[in-house]
Amino acid sequence: MNPAVHLDGITKRFPGVVANDDVDLTVERGSVHALLGENGAGKTTLMNVLYGLYEPTEGTVVLDGEPQSFDSPRDAIDAGVGMIHQHFMLVDPMTVWENVVLGNEPKAWGGLRVDKTAARDAVTELSERYGFDVDPDATIADISVGEQQRVEILKALYRGADVLIMDEPTAVLTPQEVEELYGVFEELTDQGKTIIFISHKLGEALSAADDITVLRDGLNVGTVSAADVTREDLAEMMVGREVLMEPAASPQPPGDSVLEVTGLCVDDDRGVEAVSDLSFELRAGEVLGVAGVDGNGQSQLVEAVTGLREAASGEIRYRGESILGTTRRERIDGGMAFVPEDRHERGLVMSYDLTENGILGSQHDPPFARGGRLDWRASRDHAESVIEQYDVRPPDAEATAESLSGGNQQKFIVGREFERDPDLVVAMHPTRGVDIGSTEFLHDRLLDLRAEGKAVLLVSSKLDEVQGLSDRLAVMHEGSFSGVVDPATVTEEEIGLLMAGEPLDDDSVERAAVHGDADPTDGGPDEDPMDGTAGEGVDA
Amino acid sequence: MRNVIQSDYVRSLVVGTVAVLGLLGVAGLAFPESVAGDLAGIVFSASTATSTARLAAPIVLAGLGGIFAEKSGVINIGLEGLLIISAFASVYVASLVGIGNALFGIPGIWVGFLAGIAASTALSGVFGIVCIEFKADQIIAGLAVWLIALGLAPFMSTVFFGGVNTPNLGANVGWRYSTAMVALATLASWWTLNRTAFGKHLRAAGENPQALDTVGVSVSRVRHAGVLLSGVLSGVGGSALALSIGQFVGSGETMVQGKGFIAIVAYLFGNYNPIGTLGAGVLFAGLDAVQVRLQQLGYAVPDTLVQTIPYVVVIVVLALVGRTRIPEAAGEHYETEE
Repeated sequence: MNPAVHLDGITKRFPGVVANDDVDLTVERGSVHALLGENGAGKTTLMNVLYGLYEPTEGTVVLDGEPQSFDSPRDAIDAGVGMIHQHFMLVDPMTVWENVVLGNEPKAWGGLRVDKTAARDAVTELSERYGFDVDPDATIADISVGEQQRVEILKALYRGADVLIMDEPTAVLTPQEVEELYGVFEELTDQGKTIIFISHKLGEALSAADDITVLRDGLNVGTVSAADVTREDLAEMMVGREVLMEPAASPQPPGDSVLEVTGLCVDDDRGVEAVSDLSFELRAGEVLGVAGVDGNGQSQLVEAVTGLREAASGEIRYRGESILGTTRRERIDGGMAFVPEDRHERGLVMSYDLTENGILGSQHDPPFARGGRLDWRASRDHAESVIEQYDVRPPDAEATAESLSGGNQQKFIVGREFERDPDLVVAMHPTRGVDIGSTEFLHDRLLDLRAEGKAVLLVSSKLDEVQGLSDRLAVMHEGSFSGVVDPATVTEEEIGLLMAGEPLDDDSVERAAVHGDADPTDGGPDEDPMDGTAGEGVDA
Repeated sequence: MRNVIQSDYVRSLVVGTVAVLGLLGVAGLAFPESVAGDLAGIVFSASTATSTARLAAPIVLAGLGGIFAEKSGVINIGLEGLLIISAFASVYVASLVGIGNALFGIPGIWVGFLAGIAASTALSGVFGIVCIEFKADQIIAGLAVWLIALGLAPFMSTVFFGGVNTPNLGANVGWRYSTAMVALATLASWWTLNRTAFGKHLRAAGENPQALDTVGVSVSRVRHAGVLLSGVLSGVGGSALALSIGQFVGSGETMVQGKGFIAIVAYLFGNYNPIGTLGAGVLFAGLDAVQVRLQQLGYAVPDTLVQTIPYVVVIVVLALVGRTRIPEAAGEHYETEE
């Protein structure tokens, strides 16, 4: 029997980027296939090719043995491919049945009316066949997110989908709804439907999928059977076995406490707890690296520290004083530099030139602000010095941010923030999209900051980066640190375990603790960030 | 009835109006010599009824048109301009053909009527292209439609007739015709919006255009259709307004006198329901008709104050009652991903 889906050597290039590089993918009929990878690994691009939204630069989509050529999603729908987007495509004030049949309404009276009875019956029949339990007359706005997702699935089934693609289907669901979704998967595959879902969560792929394909940097790293693979294997496949950088030893012992986080809980936009009872301490002249698969609470942690999100509970102390409730501006003025995760949204104003972008965050302060007006000459000099030091190309302070490539935008942001003369640098993915040479330069600058006695909180999904730069390496899993280890001695397998949420045996934890104790000037015992007591022994 | 009078809100509007009229009737019968008696005499007179019908036609028809545009996601605040342009075009073409003559067997006045609809539809088509294809700001483009018509119609009248007011045609379209059109348009609009596939597509285009796009229905086509329908219906309203007198009056705010804006108020007040829009339109037109009659009887009712009532009402309704739900994506441009 032919496989339901076969992608043959798909390459998709965008100007300057290869999103998919010769990817093969085979999905058997009636199976659940997970497409696993970090953000930007090319999962969504690949699925958009299968769904007809993008035309592949090279390669063919083969459905059930038949080569296909899709011009639009419409063609893909006609060929039996249905896509369930992460953000539901539902009309909130309309009912379930109206949404399911939208665009394909059964008609009566020569098209003068929608045949409501036929539409409702069709929806009820589908809903019952797959055990969905959705009321066809309910209004979308009134039903739960899990039910809305089932309506999306019904929409695809109503249009005759045999292959269902789901983009991060669990991202918006509660844990109970996730369980229900797995049940839905089973119903669907039992009746011969094929499911491909995109995910960056290991556990999800392992529990819901039959087969797992891992993508990294646009390449197919391998397809494995969920039954024969461990979390650690998958983590390693996702992150990649990369050459370990030799960690540069800190030139001096850590100094005073700069950032103290105690029992911190932070909710995400949906009100779900993203950071759970997290505690750690960061001292001057120290780099604390935070590794982990994206989406385990790193963003919310960073937002709470930098003042972009309110903490639900817990305490954050900066240089000994509580900063909960202080504004973003107060934190900037207090010497907190921040390299944000999303450079477009939070790093730059895309339509401003570099002179203007260079003073963002310092626009109130001399030498840029003087007597109620901005000193553009000083601003320009500042931008030019950042451009020169950080090798931003083109070297033009009047170029708008949007005219720069992503890597150059990133270099400019990092330069602006590092040159703020901060006490604490919170850097998230500081080298994302930056070429190798510039990455090394940024790494060196970061280590210089450490040598100058700055504290650095470094969050990155690049394992070699966090491992190479950190004095202590925390691995984040589902909102808390599954372990804090010594980057010099920890092995990749151990990190893989921690990323999967499995605590290490005492031996490895011991090694990290021993490393901390070995610090000659550190009088007190090294606090274990896991037990929530960090900071108690430190006189703020 | 559950569907016809969709919300409690429309129902309370109807009940409230009936209750006020009932009280007035009782008071008028009890004290025939008082103000209440005069008022009752006016409200329940045949001449007030016919002038209400005449004044309500452009408000209700343009309001129905506005529903189609806004439901599809394009806020058409140029309804006033559509009324003006169709009012002028209908009189101009009717005089061109001649009242005694016919074109293709259609009497001149009705040729004028159709020409009014065509002019309004054409102008709304331009508005649609500017807003949907060129992604112009809908409010600015809508204001432009109004200002263009406000300038163009009296100007053309001056060019063709030597004054901002056209001469009277000496014939008119009776109120019975326009009332029938209002009734028919209201029912047809209700059916189209609530029962047809096109109605569902309109709603989806205004609420979540991406949802419509992903199921393979062109959002811009649906929006163009919505905007063109606003042109057709406003054209009927504008032609009915001018031809009910047989003349286009172009001085000041023209004979339309803000009825296009009252129409927006009417459909907001009616919560995008054609039946509610009809009710609101008749209510506002009735207030205006009563006010005119009171003036004639010597009561010094300030007409400008009466004319602000619809606007005050809509602000109160939108702010306090807050039941009117504007389509989620109204005013937003939509770009398909493909």
